[in-house]
Amino acid sequence: MLTRRRLVWVAIIVVTAGLLAFGAVRDTGPLTQQDRIDTITKRIACPTCDGESIYVSRASASQSIRAEVARQVGDGVRTDDEVVAYIADRFGGEVLLLPRATGVDALIWVLPVVLTVVLVVALWLAFRRWRLASATTTPVQVASPSQRRRSLAIGVVLTVVVGVAGGALVARQAGQRLPLETFTGGIEDSTASILAQARLAGPSDVKTAIDLYSRVLETDPDNVEALTYRAWLVMLSARQFDEALRAQAFASTVTALGRAIQIDPEYPDAMCFLGIVVYRDGGDAASAKEFVDRCIERDPPVQVRGLIDALATELDAELKP
Amino acid sequence: MKSAKIGTLSVAVVVAAFIAVLLVSDGETGVAVRSPLLGQPAPAIQTTTIDDAPFDLTRRKGSWVVFNFFNSTCVPCIAEHPSLMRFVENEAGQPDSVELYTVINDDADDAVRNFFATNDGDWPKLRDNDGAIAVAFGVAKVPETWIIDPNGFVRLRILGAVADGVLEEQMAKLRATEGS
Repeated sequence: MLTRRRLVWVAIIVVTAGLLAFGAVRDTGPLTQQDRIDTITKRIACPTCDGESIYVSRASASQSIRAEVARQVGDGVRTDDEVVAYIADRFGGEVLLLPRATGVDALIWVLPVVLTVVLVVALWLAFRRWRLASATTTPVQVASPSQRRRSLAIGVVLTVVVGVAGGALVARQAGQRLPLETFTGGIEDSTASILAQARLAGPSDVKTAIDLYSRVLETDPDNVEALTYRAWLVMLSARQFDEALRAQAFASTVTALGRAIQIDPEYPDAMCFLGIVVYRDGGDAASAKEFVDRCIERDPPVQVRGLIDALATELDAELKP
Repeated sequence: MKSAKIGTLSVAVVVAAFIAVLLVSDGETGVAVRSPLLGQPAPAIQTTTIDDAPFDLTRRKGSWVVFNFFNSTCVPCIAEHPSLMRFVENEAGQPDSVELYTVINDDADDAVRNFFATNDGDWPKLRDNDGAIAVAFGVAKVPETWIIDPNGFVRLRILGAVADGVLEEQMAKLRATEGS
């Protein structure tokens, strides 16, 4: 049966754990946009000054970050944590005024709790030993060495488990747990990321690149870059096959590139590729020249320009009256 | 060995390691500075030049792009200008020449125009009126220089003024990596 003193201890532990658990899951309810901006900017340190949040700092960098926070809150797409994660992804974890609750930063929250638990247990053991030693009337039952070792091991494991669990709870409650965080932090697998991976894959791994562009087009059917480069890779890979397949690829490529140009008439890459395809695979020099000239006017990137410089000369020679 | 001695020794080792880390670690300045953006796709940037021409970073994929964050009153920015001029001259002969852009940081268009009219440099100057580009790249102080590869990945960050030949050297390394 539990003594009264032990009951008090159990009650204290249950209430503390309950309050921590409640605090960890509570929802503070909706805030105004300005409240959100203030809350977020108070969580971010000024990157160019010491000991100031961007909420109070007048530094130029702080003003830029505040403007970005206001813009993102105004857009209403990202949560507070996601906005903070965006800033931390750019400026590094040093701008977080509250250390993260994940990765190595979590040690800041966990270690004090572990140490506290270890110290409390050590004190309890010391008091218990003194009490037993001073109680001369009580017969002391001496444990065997193996029993002592087992008790010690169980005690150590329990202490560490309780300490780490408590520390994790404190970290969850007090630390920053930002979205999409891995051990080292990370940037979301966005459309930009998939497009960059597709660039990296093609043309050495055309199938992977085409799959990645298709993935982008599933969520963003009007993505001009994905439309253009998927069509271009389809045509390049079709050139090694028979006439029928090449004709099919030609038709779909011209349609896709035409759509890309319709969506963004200023995108030079689509015009250059259309010029190349129309001439090399369709044999239409006049149309090709028109597309190539329009592409050059729009200052294509170096790699694309490298593809059309020779073609432009060739077309001029062919179309010379 | 007594447990007390082991404990003391452990504490001493930890303290010594801590002091060693503090002594060895240096500040974050210079070439190849860390950033969470390195190796990641470059942020989507859309703005205009001071000549009102539109600029979209995603449309520059296929070219090496160098962003130089600049303010006409910042002394290191002024100091590095001759190095940038030489870099652009050297790049002109390359088949995959770099596109250099100045990103204006907390400065007026006219001040930037005057600076370049006096000191030369005919590459495009991008507006960043609300600091969105600086925030997207995590730029707190100028000058800073970033290199983005033709696939759109951020490859290098240089904090502070660029010394003579540094950009050429870094580009040669990056091109070698790209080609391998």
